[in-house]
Amino acid sequence: MTHRNIKIVATVAVLVTAFVGLMYFTLREGTEYYKHVDEVMATRQQWEGKRLQLHGFVVPGSIYVKPSTLEYQFKVQNKGHVVDASYKGVVPDTFKDDSEVVLKGQLTPMGFHTDSNGIMAKCPSKYEAAKKVG
Amino acid sequence: MASLGTFLLLAAFVVCSYAAGVSITGARRRSRRLIESGIGAFYLVTALMTVASAVIVNAFLTDDFTIRYVAHYSDSVQPLFYKITSYWGGLDGSIMFWVFLLSVFGSTAVYVNRERHRELIPYVVAVISIVQMFFLFLMVVHNNPFATFITNAPADGNGLNPALQSYWMVIHPPSLYTGFVGMTIPFAFGMAALITGHLDDAWLRAVRRWTMVAWLFLTFGLMLGMIWAYEELGWGGYWAWDPVENAALLPWFTATAFLHSVMVQERRSMLRVWNVTLVIVTFFLTIFGTFMTRSGVVSSVHAFGEDSKLAWMFTVFMVAIIIVSFGFVIYRLPLLRARNTLDSWASREAAFLVNNWILLFCAFFVLFATMFPTLSEAVTGERITVGPPFFNKWMLPIGLTLLFLTGIGPLLAWRKSSVRNLAQSFLWPVAACIVTLVTVASFGIRLWVSGICFALCAFVAGTVIQEFVRGANVRRGVTGTDIVTALIGLVGRNKRRYGGYIVHLGVVLIFLGFAGEGFNREEQVGLKPGQEVTVGRYTLRHDALKVAEDDQKQMVTAYISVFEGGKQIDTLYPSKWFYRKHEGQPTTETAIRRRPSEDLYVVLAKPEIESQTAFLEIHVNPLVNWVWFGFGVIAIGTGIALLPERAFSFALARLPADAATTTAALLLAVLLSATTLAAQSGSGAEKVQVANIKPLERQMQGEILCMCGGCKSPLNDCPMLYCHMREPEKAILHDLVEEGRTHDQIVASFIQRYGGQDVLGAPLDQGFNRLAWLFPYLVGAGSAISVGFVAVRLARRNQSSADAADAREADAALEQRLDDELRDLD
Repeated sequence: MTHRNIKIVATVAVLVTAFVGLMYFTLREGTEYYKHVDEVMATRQQWEGKRLQLHGFVVPGSIYVKPSTLEYQFKVQNKGHVVDASYKGVVPDTFKDDSEVVLKGQLTPMGFHTDSNGIMAKCPSKYEAAKKVG
Repeated sequence: MASLGTFLLLAAFVVCSYAAGVSITGARRRSRRLIESGIGAFYLVTALMTVASAVIVNAFLTDDFTIRYVAHYSDSVQPLFYKITSYWGGLDGSIMFWVFLLSVFGSTAVYVNRERHRELIPYVVAVISIVQMFFLFLMVVHNNPFATFITNAPADGNGLNPALQSYWMVIHPPSLYTGFVGMTIPFAFGMAALITGHLDDAWLRAVRRWTMVAWLFLTFGLMLGMIWAYEELGWGGYWAWDPVENAALLPWFTATAFLHSVMVQERRSMLRVWNVTLVIVTFFLTIFGTFMTRSGVVSSVHAFGEDSKLAWMFTVFMVAIIIVSFGFVIYRLPLLRARNTLDSWASREAAFLVNNWILLFCAFFVLFATMFPTLSEAVTGERITVGPPFFNKWMLPIGLTLLFLTGIGPLLAWRKSSVRNLAQSFLWPVAACIVTLVTVASFGIRLWVSGICFALCAFVAGTVIQEFVRGANVRRGVTGTDIVTALIGLVGRNKRRYGGYIVHLGVVLIFLGFAGEGFNREEQVGLKPGQEVTVGRYTLRHDALKVAEDDQKQMVTAYISVFEGGKQIDTLYPSKWFYRKHEGQPTTETAIRRRPSEDLYVVLAKPEIESQTAFLEIHVNPLVNWVWFGFGVIAIGTGIALLPERAFSFALARLPADAATTTAALLLAVLLSATTLAAQSGSGAEKVQVANIKPLERQMQGEILCMCGGCKSPLNDCPMLYCHMREPEKAILHDLVEEGRTHDQIVASFIQRYGGQDVLGAPLDQGFNRLAWLFPYLVGAGSAISVGFVAVRLARRNQSSADAADAREADAALEQRLDDELRDLD
């Protein structure tokens, strides 16, 4: 009986190790830091070059589309900190002045560079978000 | 009206608590009258919730904007259909709708089972009532849909969010809720069985059907959500591992596991603790999913916003569920002992067991990954997210393994498969699998994952067809009818088994669609009128941008002519709609040309009215429609499994011998004649766009970095508007591709040009680097092998000790007879 228990323990140990190992190695590639604009801009140097999901609000009037292209330049702010952002591609329907966005991409010295399909926008009027304060 | 609604909710709460209390007391005192009174009160809750629902729907219909919920989700110009469905458009209403559905389901379940499972019913009533009380409590104290404006109500409402004004969205939430709510019934019966100690298989028989119905609705809800995402959101895909989607997927995994393992308990009286646990976990996950999406614990694009008070209430409820239900499981463990042990790993019950582990692992993994941002924040203080690539990396191999098991399970015999019957049953499916693999390989498909998926699909389809053909042949031999009638008779004789096989066939089709996703193509272009672009086989010409209006919205539509091989085959109308109430948030109306082989999917990304330019996003999605079709097949299979016994045999008895064959042939003929395509000749257009770049070039633009020094991003998305390096590098790449160089040659040439691997976006797939890529897979394979090894050793040991103890029972003839009997039971 104890022999059997040892085997069960060994099986579980192997499974857990395999799982944790796999998790660790796959997580390293797939992860992104989730940060608000103010947190990132306070220690900007530290975040440059890292994969980020940047949470903030589009500064009203800052959205600029290069004519005859799908290249966007805009500013995102949170609690007084602002960062320039760029994007190329199709923006979601909810992307507009003041909308709450999460941008996927990288911070570069020239501003935040958003991946293609990297804009997730929440609309303040959508669902219940009226109560929400960023 | 609003106060009437609030009063109804309060009354429902009071009646619910009465029903719960009186049922428990009645059961303990064995008082028939008290129990009957509890059931009566339980029915009354349904009546109250129905009236309350009527009140809120009426408020929507009469534009009663004094009620906050109505003002928030409706307006006076909203079409009637959407006015009614706004009922479940928001948080408060959806909770109320939940309670309404639960009361209807609960009453039906109690009504159907009140005589058959008399001893369980009082506790079933009590458990469901308690769940209802929780949601009613939420509404009364926190999310009252009947809350009114204290001062000046608005003259008109905000209108339902335009993104939700789609008929898919109208039927998607009810379907999903029905699935979620339906899972409460098995839980209630399971708890009743645990509390009363009537743990024979009676409660399983009572809930089997319910679980299947709930599972079907859940599956359907998931599908409708996918179709909605595909048609409305305009990004060309249907599943993005969004937390809200995952929340619905979690109970689906455990419910699927339960539907399989329940068979093992019926046949072999094994896995009894496991089944009760699965029922509890499934119910828990439905509540957890609601909690996750409604309380803002996990941020998602379409979560309902943050609400910490709600989060606390849910947490308390969930902790209570866990403690109480697992407390009872532990208390009843002695009664839940398995009556049999696993005889062999080459048996159907072992296949079911492995399938259960994998499904449970899926649920656990998706839960973990969805909660990862929250968990990492709690542990390290940094919020770290994981994206769809992470999910895909894990779920891809797991999904393929599941598909493989789908094929293997039916081929194995109960108890133990002999080598001979293994060889017999695996021959044709394995042959189908190998032939497909070779065919796919000879066509030179780059994506090995899709290739394997195709081969496995062939394998599973092979097993299902083989089962049908064998069964039909046997039946034909016995009854002497033609093959189609024999087939229908076969399905009728054993609906659950063959219905299940049809469901498996549906799963195969869905996987076929998933495999097609590997070959998606995508293009973004801006076209002036008259210009055209070529994507895959299609050439699209932009003809005009037109603006139209109705009383709700302004619509900008692009007229796109589609040509294939020089002939016009279609005209597509992708558009953007601007609702007046939601000016800043246009909705994207995609235009999709659906064909079984592939979809042409066109999105009007940005219309520029002044220059008449349409910016289009064009997707070619091979095989997607098979996903939807597969869901349809699943629905048919589940439907067959659910058919009441008597209706089916009655219909069969009445059926003339050849009627089935004739009907099938007729249907086929009609379908074939319907597939005609009108072809028109195309006109000569100004061919300006040559945006059609080769797949290799596109791929490599994503791999090779722009060397301008600033952006550190791949060529295809260097953010600088006027970059001095991007265009020259792209030109070099273009030339190399045009010269017909291979991927590796081009990489080598870039490394040489820029003196190092800096130019690559990802480490080169060779030598040590290759090890880094392979490592996760190696670990996975290694652990799988070692787990298998340990499992085999364990099983062998088990068997030898069992053999020694029960030597007298190891009578070969008896074993044989048992096997036969079990087979007949199928």
